[in-house]
Amino acid sequence: MAAQAIPMASTAASEPTVDWDALATRARLARRTKATVLYAFLIAVSLPIILPYFWLVTIAFSAKTGVAETAVLWRSMAVVVPAVIAFWLSAALAQGRRQLWIGLTAVAAVAALAFAVLVGPDLHLGNFIFLWEPDFASVVRSRVGEVKGAVQFPNVWHAFGNSILIAGTQTVIVVTVASLAAYYLSRFQFPGRSSMLRSLLVLHAFPVLTLIVPMFLMLYWIGLLDTLSGVILVLVAFELPFAIFIMKGFFDAVPWDIEMSALTDGASRRQAFVSVVLPQVRNGILAIAVFTFIRGWEEYIFVFTFLIRNSNWTMSLYMYWVRDDVMGVDYGVVSAVGVFYLVPSLILYMAAQRYLMQMSIGGVKG
Amino acid sequence: MAKIEFRNVVKRFGTVEVIPDMNLVIEDGEFVALLGPSGCGKSTSLFMLAGIYLPSGGELLFDGHVVNEVEARDRNVGIVFQSYALYPHMSARDNILFPLRFKKTSRDQALARVKATAELVRVEELLDRRPSELSGGQQQRVALARALVKEPQLLLLDEPLSNLDASLRLSMRTEIKSLQEQLGVTTVLVTHDQIEATTMADRIICMRAGQIEQVGTPDDLYLRPSSLFVAGFIGSPPINLMAGEAAGGTVTVGGAIFPVEGASGSLTIGLRPEHLRFAETGFAGRIAQIEPMGREILYVVETGMGAIRVLEQGSSVAHSTGEQVNIDFHPENSLVFDTQRQKLITGAHVRAPD
Repeated sequence: MAAQAIPMASTAASEPTVDWDALATRARLARRTKATVLYAFLIAVSLPIILPYFWLVTIAFSAKTGVAETAVLWRSMAVVVPAVIAFWLSAALAQGRRQLWIGLTAVAAVAALAFAVLVGPDLHLGNFIFLWEPDFASVVRSRVGEVKGAVQFPNVWHAFGNSILIAGTQTVIVVTVASLAAYYLSRFQFPGRSSMLRSLLVLHAFPVLTLIVPMFLMLYWIGLLDTLSGVILVLVAFELPFAIFIMKGFFDAVPWDIEMSALTDGASRRQAFVSVVLPQVRNGILAIAVFTFIRGWEEYIFVFTFLIRNSNWTMSLYMYWVRDDVMGVDYGVVSAVGVFYLVPSLILYMAAQRYLMQMSIGGVKG
Repeated sequence: MAKIEFRNVVKRFGTVEVIPDMNLVIEDGEFVALLGPSGCGKSTSLFMLAGIYLPSGGELLFDGHVVNEVEARDRNVGIVFQSYALYPHMSARDNILFPLRFKKTSRDQALARVKATAELVRVEELLDRRPSELSGGQQQRVALARALVKEPQLLLLDEPLSNLDASLRLSMRTEIKSLQEQLGVTTVLVTHDQIEATTMADRIICMRAGQIEQVGTPDDLYLRPSSLFVAGFIGSPPINLMAGEAAGGTVTVGGAIFPVEGASGSLTIGLRPEHLRFAETGFAGRIAQIEPMGREILYVVETGMGAIRVLEQGSSVAHSTGEQVNIDFHPENSLVFDTQRQKLITGAHVRAPD
């Protein structure tokens, strides 16, 4: 140790050869090892999340009535898992951007071919029968010989429409009320302002399920039980505090100067709000709109409790009853309904991802 | 164009009285500066003029009409903020167009006005850009154009130059000044920078803690500051202030004895650095530090009464640190303040010790 330390401590000029190439190689190797390990870890933790979805889709497109077999599942796994590992390896081993693209394309091509050969013949759209056959339960049951006792399903598009209606109306109300309320909270001083802000957070922390019995009674007395508007009101009430809180953060970030400037430029308070302040919080509005919509789209507990007639079913109730009725007979149909239910929120998430990311940046400020 | 008048104007925020009692007349077409340290109420006064704050008491008059209750949008006031406050989601053109949206102007007419105003402040090339694509100076010009496009009767400038770099500040100063002369619009500039105030304004209103300390031309404030505060606030490098006791026609300050006329009691002597010169006679000291400033040289001299700043014209350093010097001045240039009341004693002067 001492023998090494002494030349280091003396002048650099007396140390004739520093092997720069070796140092660079070592650094490169360390960097690559780190990246490889990191990706291995990320792939490992994401598998439990991705695999169920993958299975859901595979089952939806491949399972057959009355047949409970997992061969297709395993065959598709045999394609996907090596493909993921190959992707990772080619990313780790590639020496440049060009090699990386060639590697990834090659892996993708091989995987697609293998999938077509191993799984392709088993794929079919038969499980999506519910899209065109409202009484699909009877049809499915008849294939295995038990015709009677099927649940009377409404048209799936009707449930789809109900879900859109609930989520959409709720979103419109929440966005309107939350942006106005948050603007007021952000800009005006009034008695009780700070306690209101605090209670917004407390309200959001409240487990809503504890309120389900009183809510049921209230809706019953008002006469809104088993109506879509009743559920919408309940959802709005529970979504508002958080939306207001998020929006307040966005409004807080809009400088006063801009608004004062608009006022002296001749705008009224309302005109200033609409033409100058609102455009600054556009991302916040988009973020709470998407969140609220998805929240309404996936709502289950409230619709399950407050909606009874099957003409009032939403997609989540439809999903529930499909599972209840044909699960034992045909889990392919159940999966297909699941996929159908999943697609709109997936599309929405992907389209709005950019704005949702901003919520954590711009939004959360007391 | 308007004549502005503050009559016993009071502004309170809750229990905090920011402006206790303000009386001020700004003549039509005048360029005045509200000068003071931060928190002195100058921006509050400006926002009351703009109609953003309501006065808590007193009367605010435009051309003899009380405007206390008149909405900001009806006052026809143009304002340029320190941050420029351009609307980030609009192009420069739409920013300048914005005030005209609320007036009964046809679109063609409005666009023509925008074009003319943009040419006036020389941003006609930048009209399609967003504020984020403009430099600080360009944003400043666009903000100025937006304030001027509606031909305001009153132009308010809230620290308009403080976000600009030094050279840009210099040229914008000249430009705003000449623009104001050209348009003849009554203008109120709020600033904490005395150079800005003295170079641009016809008259300076020096404020402190919500009260007007002195109103006057830049010369008045510089040569005849009415109080110790104004004397200390105006001038760079700052004035030398020395507190002492007067008895029998002399003031004793830290061992030096100055003959005094026209004052007695606790006095503070004020001497501008450029009024001091090295001489054979005067009070003694030792040069501690030399700061060449280009055209002039600032010497910091250690004396019995503390560090004294001496500003000498010329660019060659004729002295060296550690040198023993004597400092003299012309009695006419000396200022004498009553230490208790903090006020200037008019007509009182001191002479340098022999």
